[in-house]
Amino acid sequence: ALRTNRRPMSGNGSGPEQNGQPPAARPARVVEAEEDEDEELTLKYGAKHVIMLFVPVTLCMVVVVATIKSVSFYTQNDGQRLIYTPFPEDTDTVGQRALNSILNATIMITVIIVMTLVLVLLYKYRCYKVIQGWLFLSSLLLLFFFSYIYLKEVFKTYNVAMDYFTLAIIIWNFGVVGMMCIHWKGPLRLQQAYLIMISALMALVFIKYLPEWTAWLILAVISVYDLLAVLCPKGPLRILVETAQERNEPIFPALIYSSTMVWLVNMADTDRPKRNSTEATPPQQQAQEASSSPAATAVPQDDGGFSPNWVNQQQHQLGPIQSTEQTRREVQEMPSARPPVEDDDEERGVKLGLGDFIFYSMLVGKASATASGDWNTTLACFVAILIGLCLTLLLLAIFKKALPALPISIFFGLVFYFATDNLVQPFMDKLALHQFYI
Amino acid sequence: MNLERLPNEEKLSLCRKYYLAGFAFLPFLWLVNVVWFFREAFFKPTYTEQLQIKAYVKRSALGLLLWVAVLTTWITIFQHFRAEWGEVGDYLSFTIPLGIP
Repeated sequence: ALRTNRRPMSGNGSGPEQNGQPPAARPARVVEAEEDEDEELTLKYGAKHVIMLFVPVTLCMVVVVATIKSVSFYTQNDGQRLIYTPFPEDTDTVGQRALNSILNATIMITVIIVMTLVLVLLYKYRCYKVIQGWLFLSSLLLLFFFSYIYLKEVFKTYNVAMDYFTLAIIIWNFGVVGMMCIHWKGPLRLQQAYLIMISALMALVFIKYLPEWTAWLILAVISVYDLLAVLCPKGPLRILVETAQERNEPIFPALIYSSTMVWLVNMADTDRPKRNSTEATPPQQQAQEASSSPAATAVPQDDGGFSPNWVNQQQHQLGPIQSTEQTRREVQEMPSARPPVEDDDEERGVKLGLGDFIFYSMLVGKASATASGDWNTTLACFVAILIGLCLTLLLLAIFKKALPALPISIFFGLVFYFATDNLVQPFMDKLALHQFYI
Repeated sequence: MNLERLPNEEKLSLCRKYYLAGFAFLPFLWLVNVVWFFREAFFKPTYTEQLQIKAYVKRSALGLLLWVAVLTTWITIFQHFRAEWGEVGDYLSFTIPLGIP
């Protein structure tokens, strides 16, 4: 889900009234002009955030595609499957395969829905400790176990010898600093970098362990679910967002990537409050915790702002994964001990859930792994997702409430993938074959 | 988090915590400490806590250099003599490269 904390901004239209002076003193057209300016600033504000979200999303996708292309481990079919997708896809008939993938997707979605509901219930009944512990375990799993596997595969690919001692030092440092940056205090850039890495790791796990048709189906179904969960009045994500707003609590920093950009409004109208315009470092991403390890771990994902919640309850050896729903859900932050000043600044930002990062990267990664058109298809999917993100942010600037970030992007991504793979690529191949340049 | 918005005592406390935590075999943490607080310690107008922050940054840098030296030495030794150590080399290895050098 995509959310922006623009509550302070939206109150600007009644700026003059806040000063305690009667609005009647102001001529009506000045108020109108202010509202127009406000809207224009809204759109400009939205545009800046689009760009600020482009960079992390692109980086995440680049990492995933680079890994897929170079490390063959993530595209090998070892015959292992997640416990959530028990039906194999290497069946005799197409019909059987379709049926299996539908069943797999159903199971996965049910798991995600259940996880989401559990998280919402936990949040509603203020079981903050449980949620925090869950998030903590998930990010622990992700930062240590998955990065260990990733490092092992990279070393194998490049045929490098590595000893246990150096490896232990590397993993220990990476993990501990990651936990500190994500859950405690750390430099913003580093936190964002860790969130990107975590999302990429999760996406890689998904790409490896979800069979093809299941993966595409899951992407489609999750987008629909995201749409319903965030926009419907009874949707769990929406309940989560609203409860958080009622309680005036921030969302879990560990699950959402936020592009906090403190924004300076330099209005000729002196009634408007001046804000600092510090270009904040890239959005703070919240780490999505995807727990995919043998231990049951939940990966919370913030949706609100974008924190992907990872819920992983995996008993599978590599058990990855989690409920993306959760990641999508805005995780309401537990009341933090941070000074209010920080909150104010962080209020002005667009937040993107880690789950969204994961699914975007998963789509592009799958496209680069399995498409016949290879780079053409990968680029097409990449562009499609960015366009979808732009549109979503535009809608966010217009509606100013929590929106699902998956549907538009994933829909465009899927359309572009299947169209490019099946229509554009054969066309390009034929042209190249006949050396016909257009 | 943005250092700009923190009061000086909190900056000092943060710097100190990073410094102390780095003793748990965490040279990366010392690196983060140095990079993050570098500008604070050396390029900002003086304030009361700055002297202590400078001290922590310098000590972190020292610790970091020490670790880098130790690790570089160990890695060089390992990579060079791994094949010759036979069994011990294999036992220490996490990944063993294939093929003949």
